[in-house]
Amino acid sequence: MSSATRQATNALVFLGPACLFLVALLVIPIGVDLVVAFTDMSQTLTVDDLTTEQFRKIATPSDEALLGFELRYSFYKALMLTAVYVTCTLTIFNVGFALVLALTTTALPDWLGGIYRAIWLLPRMSPSVVYALLWLWSVDPTERGLLNQVLGVFGIAPINMKLDAPMVLIVFANGFIGASIGMLILTSAIRSIPEHLFHAARADGAGSLSVVRHIVLPHLRWPLSYITVFQALALLVSFEYIFLIMGPARSTMTMAMLAYTKTLAPDIGSGQYAYGAAITLILIVVGVAVALILYRLANMKALLARPRIEVH
Amino acid sequence: MARVELRNLTKSWDAATAVADMSLSIADGEFTAILGPSGCGKSTTLFMLAGVYRPTAGDIFFDGARVNDVEARSRNVGIVFQSYALYPNMSVLQNILFPLRFQKVPDADRRAREMAELVQVGELLDRRPSQLSGGQQQRVALARALVKRPNLLLLDEPLSNLDATLRLSMRAEIRRITRELGVTTILVTHDQIEATTMADRVVCMANGRVEQVGTADDLYLRPDTRFVAGFIGSPPMNLIEATVHEGAIRAGAARIAVTGAEGTVTLGLRPEMLHPAERGLQARVAHVEPMGRERMTTAYTDFGTIRFIEPIAAPARDEGELMHLQFDAADTILFGPDGRRLPGARASLPEAAHA
Repeated sequence: MSSATRQATNALVFLGPACLFLVALLVIPIGVDLVVAFTDMSQTLTVDDLTTEQFRKIATPSDEALLGFELRYSFYKALMLTAVYVTCTLTIFNVGFALVLALTTTALPDWLGGIYRAIWLLPRMSPSVVYALLWLWSVDPTERGLLNQVLGVFGIAPINMKLDAPMVLIVFANGFIGASIGMLILTSAIRSIPEHLFHAARADGAGSLSVVRHIVLPHLRWPLSYITVFQALALLVSFEYIFLIMGPARSTMTMAMLAYTKTLAPDIGSGQYAYGAAITLILIVVGVAVALILYRLANMKALLARPRIEVH
Repeated sequence: MARVELRNLTKSWDAATAVADMSLSIADGEFTAILGPSGCGKSTTLFMLAGVYRPTAGDIFFDGARVNDVEARSRNVGIVFQSYALYPNMSVLQNILFPLRFQKVPDADRRAREMAELVQVGELLDRRPSQLSGGQQQRVALARALVKRPNLLLLDEPLSNLDATLRLSMRAEIRRITRELGVTTILVTHDQIEATTMADRVVCMANGRVEQVGTADDLYLRPDTRFVAGFIGSPPMNLIEATVHEGAIRAGAARIAVTGAEGTVTLGLRPEMLHPAERGLQARVAHVEPMGRERMTTAYTDFGTIRFIEPIAAPARDEGELMHLQFDAADTILFGPDGRRLPGARASLPEAAHA
């Protein structure tokens, strides 16, 4: 076999499956979505017309509006809820809490830290329906709910989180499960800091907080950037737990939820395939924009360009 | 600057004892080296002084005050690590400034720059550690350790990552700087040349215990134990184990007279104290190794393999050549069965012991 043929075969063998996967599960669906978004496809799955009607449903031209068009209320609300949901879950849990967990569990004795991390990984390991059910039981609005039992101990009346604080609920539910990925990445990053740096900092007079600030955090810059970009995108399109816990409630109808309920969710006004496709298309554009902005902000280029770990 | 005292210091991990019952006094401004093979407990001792490890038993005193329970950051100790442990995310200047952050000194910047000048890295202040050579990193590490004017400077194998030429100049450099500042310094090393050239006093350790404390000459010429005798000196001392019977040790036809010792002994003979002679201990040359200034010859005798050194100018010997070795009784050292030196014991080759 000539070396050129061999190279071509190698490329095919090694890259082929991944490319196939990418095309079948990413490129084709996006293509289909792009086409369907500009049709009038609905429950009958027939296409009569190529039209921009779906986008006109979302945004109607208006002279008074700031950008020259007015967003449909349900869409505008979904946009806002998505922003709140992604920002809060990301900063509070997937990055913030993950960092706190990583810092505290690495400061504990190994076995104890291991147990703590294992506990935080449990939700990851359980089926999502089971995890969602646990949340439903915890926030059950009656006195039987775990949360209400705890509140009862302090003499506080039962609350109904699904009604009163739906966004808080989905942020917590997603955050508790989402923090574990960041926790694992950050834990291993902290572990990889040479021990003598800690000894040096202590001898130099640094207290625990100074050690975190001057030694640990600078080392976590790259893992933190990675987690932020990656999890932001994951959250943007996630709807699994929202749907399982809240159902198609309007109070938590994020973009991903909206697209899902309009198209595939059973028995709740689904089947508006073209409309759902249009929303999804906008979600894809938003995702790309968020990715690019975060990529820029976090200077991910430098991360991907060459190893950033300085070994001495 | 501080006087340092260790009293019955012990550190164990579960079953393993790293340092056992170590006592030592170090005078203010003294440069002391702790010398020993890997795993002898020298680094553990250093980390206990730094406050990184807590002693299992015993006490550490700085200027008479017990510091066992004082945290590392409050001990005012400067450390230079084997790997330098510079903060990779900070510039050279920020690295040197780091210890001053926690001391609230008004002229921190000026002090850091002065210290950088002293260790000759004044030109490199804006660089990152990854942009420095090994020698430069070491200087920065030294500046960072010294900038807060520590009571005690601890050096953990500071030269082991440098190449041979640089090691030679840094040895002198570290000596100059510590002398200039008059700081009490403890150097931990496995390299006897490093220890003997830099330190006023050398503490030789083995298996968690202090074998001997003394000057370089003490350790070389008057080793207290068999371990020190074998560890110090390159090539090492010839050690012959034998039993003294009727005032002599015997092996085959060979006989060495011994005074002042009975029973099992170890006779120590430095390679350079042995010299060829017409008569004496019979030896057969095994192989010859030219070492530049001198030549080391390994020979078989009735007492086992013996090494000796001759000037390079002496005629080269052939393998298998038969010869005789002599030594002066005053140069011999004898150790008892417990490995301790027997003061006053001497060995000598009787006249005409061998034809």
